[in-house]
Parts: sequence; C-alpha cells; structure tokens
Amino acid sequence: MEPTSSASIARQTWELENNIPAAASDPDAMDAIYRYDDASQARAQQEKPWANDPHHFRRTKISALALLKMVVHARAGGTIEVMGLMQGKCEGDAIIVMDAFALPVEGTETRVNAQADAYEYMVDYSTINKQAGRLENVVGWYHSHPGYGCWLSGIDVSTQMLNQQFTEPFLAVVIDPTRTVSAGKVEIGAFRTYPKDYKPPDEPVSEYQTIPLNKIEDFGVHCKSYYALDITYFKSSLDSHLLDLLWNKYWVNTLSSSSLLGNRDYVAGQIFDLADKLEQAEGQLAHSRFGGMIMPSQRKKEQEESPLAKVTRDSSKITAEQVHGLMSQVIKDILFNSVHPSSKASTSAPPDSSGPEPMVEA
Amino acid sequence: MSAPSDAAVAAAAPASTTTAAASSGGLTFKLHPLVIVNVSDHHTRVKAQAACSGDSSSPSSSAPGAGQPPRVFGCVIGVQRGRTVEIFNSFELVLDPVSGTLDRAFLDKKQELYKKVFPDFYVLGWYSTGSDVHDTDMLIHKSLMDINESPVYLLLNPTINLSQKDLPVTIYESELHVIDGIPQLIFVRSNYTIETVEAERISVDHVAHLKPSDGGSAATQLAAHLTGIHSAIKMLNSRVRVIHQYLVAMQKGDIPLDNSLLRQVSSLVRRLPAMESQKFQDDFLMEYNDTLLMTYLAMVTKCSSTMNELVEKINTSYERTTSRRGGRGAFM
Repeated sequence: MEPTSSASIARQTWELENNIPAAASDPDAMDAIYRYDDASQARAQQEKPWANDPHHFRRTKISALALLKMVVHARAGGTIEVMGLMQGKCEGDAIIVMDAFALPVEGTETRVNAQADAYEYMVDYSTINKQAGRLENVVGWYHSHPGYGCWLSGIDVSTQMLNQQFTEPFLAVVIDPTRTVSAGKVEIGAFRTYPKDYKPPDEPVSEYQTIPLNKIEDFGVHCKSYYALDITYFKSSLDSHLLDLLWNKYWVNTLSSSSLLGNRDYVAGQIFDLADKLEQAEGQLAHSRFGGMIMPSQRKKEQEESPLAKVTRDSSKITAEQVHGLMSQVIKDILFNSVHPSSKASTSAPPDSSGPEPMVEA
Repeated sequence: MSAPSDAAVAAAAPASTTTAAASSGGLTFKLHPLVIVNVSDHHTRVKAQAACSGDSSSPSSSAPGAGQPPRVFGCVIGVQRGRTVEIFNSFELVLDPVSGTLDRAFLDKKQELYKKVFPDFYVLGWYSTGSDVHDTDMLIHKSLMDINESPVYLLLNPTINLSQKDLPVTIYESELHVIDGIPQLIFVRSNYTIETVEAERISVDHVAHLKPSDGGSAATQLAAHLTGIHSAIKMLNSRVRVIHQYLVAMQKGDIPLDNSLLRQVSSLVRRLPAMESQKFQDDFLMEYNDTLLMTYLAMVTKCSSTMNELVEKINTSYERTTSRRGGRGAFM
C-alpha cells in the first residue's frame, strides 16, 4: 500500500473517531478558518461576552504553523525559558491561534523577564505584519517551562491577569520542550485566569501533572487561579497535502531519532526528583501511622491521592517514556545490526558473479 | 465561470527562459518543515483573503491571472556552515505595487526584528509560489544579491496533485552561464534534504495526524509510537524491495548491467551491520539495563503504594472492630 493512501486512511479513521464533520475533507471548508472578518471581530469586541462569564472561553484551536513555531522556539531556548506572542481571533467560546512570533525575552525557571523593549518589539512586529497581510491581532502569549510541566506559576498568573484586564481576549499557552522530546508528544497547555475575587467551582484537574518538588509549592498556591482550555489543532488543505508528502522524505528522521540519547540529563533529574519525593512520602507515611494511633477519629474521611500514589504515577510515566525509547533502539538494533554478510559464496550464482553477497541473520 | 483546464493553465503560465535543468553540485541544502508550513500558510491566507474580498491585491502577493491563486513572496532565513546551507525559517515580503519589486524598507525592518530574536540567522534567499519559475523572478533574485551574494530561491507549487509522490518544493541557485556569447544569470535546480530537530519532528507528526493535546492513555501513546516506527520501516522496506527487484531483473538479463549502480548497491549492503563494535554492545546493554532497572524500581514503587493502600484499609477496619470491643490502637 502506498504511504500516502495509508496516511489518508489513518486521517479518515481519526475523523470518524473524533466526530470531525465531513466538511473537514473539503478544501474550501478547511480553509475558511484562514479568512479574517474584521467586522465580526469588532462586533465581538463590542459585545464582550467574556466580561460576564469568567469561563466564557472553553476551547482553543491552534494552527499547524503556530504550534510548530512555538515548539521550535521553545526547544531552541534549551533550559532557558523563552517567550512569544500569538496572533489570531475569537469565535464563540474558542480562541483561534493562527500564528505566533518570538519575543527577544529570556527568563529562568518561573521568572519571565518581560523587558520594556519586548513591548516595543511587539508593537513593531504587529504593525509590520499587518502590512504583509497578517490582519489578526495578538490574542495571547506563550512561554516555555523546560522540564517542569505545563502550568502557570505565580508570576505567570499575575502576568495573565494583567493581560486579561487590559487586552481581552487573551490566552496563556505553556510548552514544555524537554518533556515533548522525552514523551514523543507535544506537551502543551492553554490557560486563562479567573478574576481576582472569583471563587471557582471545584473541578477535578483535567490531566495529572508531574511537578518537580522544588516547584510544587508555586504550583499548589496558584492552581485554583486559572483553568485549562481544551486544545484542538487545524491545518489547511495545502498543509494536509504537504504533510502527507513530507512523510516520503521524512521517515528516515523517525528511524534515526532517539529520545534515550537526547534527554539523559532530564531523565537523571527526574529520577533524583522521584527519590526526593519518595523520601518525603515516607516521612508523611510515618507521621500518618503515628497520628492514626493517637487520634484515628480525626483522620480525613475523603483523602486526596496519597503522596506515594502520586510518586507511583510519576515513576510509571517516566518509565513508560524510557521503555518507548528503548523499544526504538531494540528495533533498530534488530534491523541494522543483526544482519551479517555470509562468508560462504552463493551456490546459485556462478563463481565469477559480481552480484551482491546474500545476507543471513546472525 | 468554469475553471480553466490544466492545458490552459500551463499555456497561460509564462515560459521560463531562465531555468537550467542541470543540477548544481555546489552546496548542500537542508530544509526544515517549518519553512514549508510557513509558505503554505502564507499562500492559504492570501488565497482565503482574496476569495473573501474578491480581489488579490495583497501586499505580499501578485495576481498571475484569472483562475490561478495569487503568488506570494517571502524571505528564507537560516545558517550556512561551509558548503552546507540550512534553511530554518521564513517570513513574508511586500511587493511594491507600482514597480513590482521588493519593498526594501519592509525587508530591512523585518530583518532587523528577526535579528533581535534569532541573531545567528541570516537571509539566505527568498521564496515564492507557482508551478514554474517566472521571467520576473530573476529581477527579485538580483535585488537580494546585496544582502546575500548567492541567494537561494525556494519555489513551492501550491496546486494539490493527489497522484504526486514527491514534495512540490524546488530549490534553485543562480549561476552565470554564457548563452549566445552573453553572460547571463540562470536558475539551476539543486537537491535538498529534509532536516528536523527532534521537537520539530514530534510537532509535525502531531499536526500531521491531528493528535489530541493530552496524547491519550498510555496504551494509545504506545500504539502511536509503534505505528510511527512501523510506518518508517514500511517505507524502508519498500525502498529495499525496489533495489531487490532491480537486482533480480538485472540477474535475469531483463535490464542491462550497470556497474556503477551495482557498486553503489554493494557499498550499501556492506554497511550492514551498522554498528559492530564491543563498545557499542557495552553501551547498548548498559542503556538496556538502565531502562530495565527503572522499570523494576517503578514496579517496586507501585507494589509499595498498593501495599500501603492495603495497610490503610486493614487499619481502618481494625480500628472499627477494636473500637466496638473498647480497645484502641493501630494494626501497623
């Protein structure tokens, strides 16, 4: 079967499984999202539906281009936090991210230094982009959390609150480039903060997050100040066609890559973090045992997940990623290392044959 | 109005007198997927806006004629190390509506902005969309020669052809050839390879298959991981099969012997096994054992957690029974 046809079958299957309307296969319908209607955006700005409902925006749609730009920029930053802005529009309860651009700003850990010249850069870039036909306005910012997950730190929350106060609609996107490489899938989160005095309803955390021990406090203090939006992706009909064809040149990269080799420092750090968490969990378990002996009636009826259970999740996650990486290596070893040229001459071919020697498995 | 036929479109396209068929062996080009997606997005956006507003007078495009999407123009940026040119990114350019040449003020400003964020990237050349090189393209090409003395020209054909198996992207260099006694710059087609960083590869894979953002369950992730490898092995297998069929046909005498090709096949075959050293074996086994050790530790942790939950439950039930009897204390 041709690779392109198998790719199209895979896409059709995905469309069926995820209830994607048939229109998604029609090029004109697919590309309609790329049109910018100034009037409808102005209308939305006048109506301001987000002002009445803190939970108005529930979804975000990110273009293939924006995702690629953000991930590449985040990875280029290495262990340093990088930052950029997203351009797009809003449509109902969704913020649509069409494009992204990097800012000349660097930070470390959860402190993003948004210098004054970054604002000047933003104005310059947006103005010049409009000249080139990029009509969308800035609809959010993105930054990276290399190795420590997709969530908003205290500084991020205050930055986002400020942005939502003055430049609505505004979205915060966080990308973890280190975990992206380790897990083999894009680690990304899209968030919006609640107003200052708003009491959010008790909602379960959408997806379990592995937070390093030195960041847990920052995460825990502010995790109720914002909510996550559902992320979906879109691409144009031409993107779709090109990405299918890209695979014909691209498959070598899949075979030649190895997550085991590229992320050794990160994995070592994760194991150190697990060891610290285990020690902490052990200490808490000892206390709870002792506490149980004294006053069992005061023990919480409905306890949240125990620290040990959380550590178990973390260890399972990092192990699964490592096993995936090892699988790739083992498959490649079988493919390219377990075949040896035969020492015997081929019996079927004449002795003076200059053809290739037969291959035999070791 | 009916859409023009392929023949009509081909006839309407300007004849290219500035293209040489010969492949240049000078530079090695590495192209990143981001550039392809960027050019594609630029084209789609201009086309969508043109369809919406009913005209194609976008500042970064030019209308080639009825029935055809407007052409778009931009700059490609990246790095050159020795004879290797790596194209990392691109940005739009604006055409002067009067002269039809590049707006230099715009280009300089855009270049200045990019330099602030990516100081290592330089303007390597320009891009455009279309089915073929146009006569006017050399004018744009020459106008960039003061920024880069040998600019590269990337041409993307935006026409979707489902029977096509290769990327509709062509890279051209310019060379000085003497034609009819007159030295002229002509475009020469160059070979290129697709280059990616790991994060870029994952992102492309992500959007190519439109995966959900959470990545799904562990089983789903494993399936996705193995499917990717399986697809790559299938591609490798199909290419090996082509070589095998070629050799069989040559052995049967259906195809004349080509010693040059046979030598290439022979050298390819002799590359296997790829790594045959004790050092590799030791490192590979070390990596293998490290992963097994991690799996073992994860299992021990999981057992401890399960055991802890069991003890908690026993303690709870023990407390209940002892409190009924008037006793007090924990089981463990």
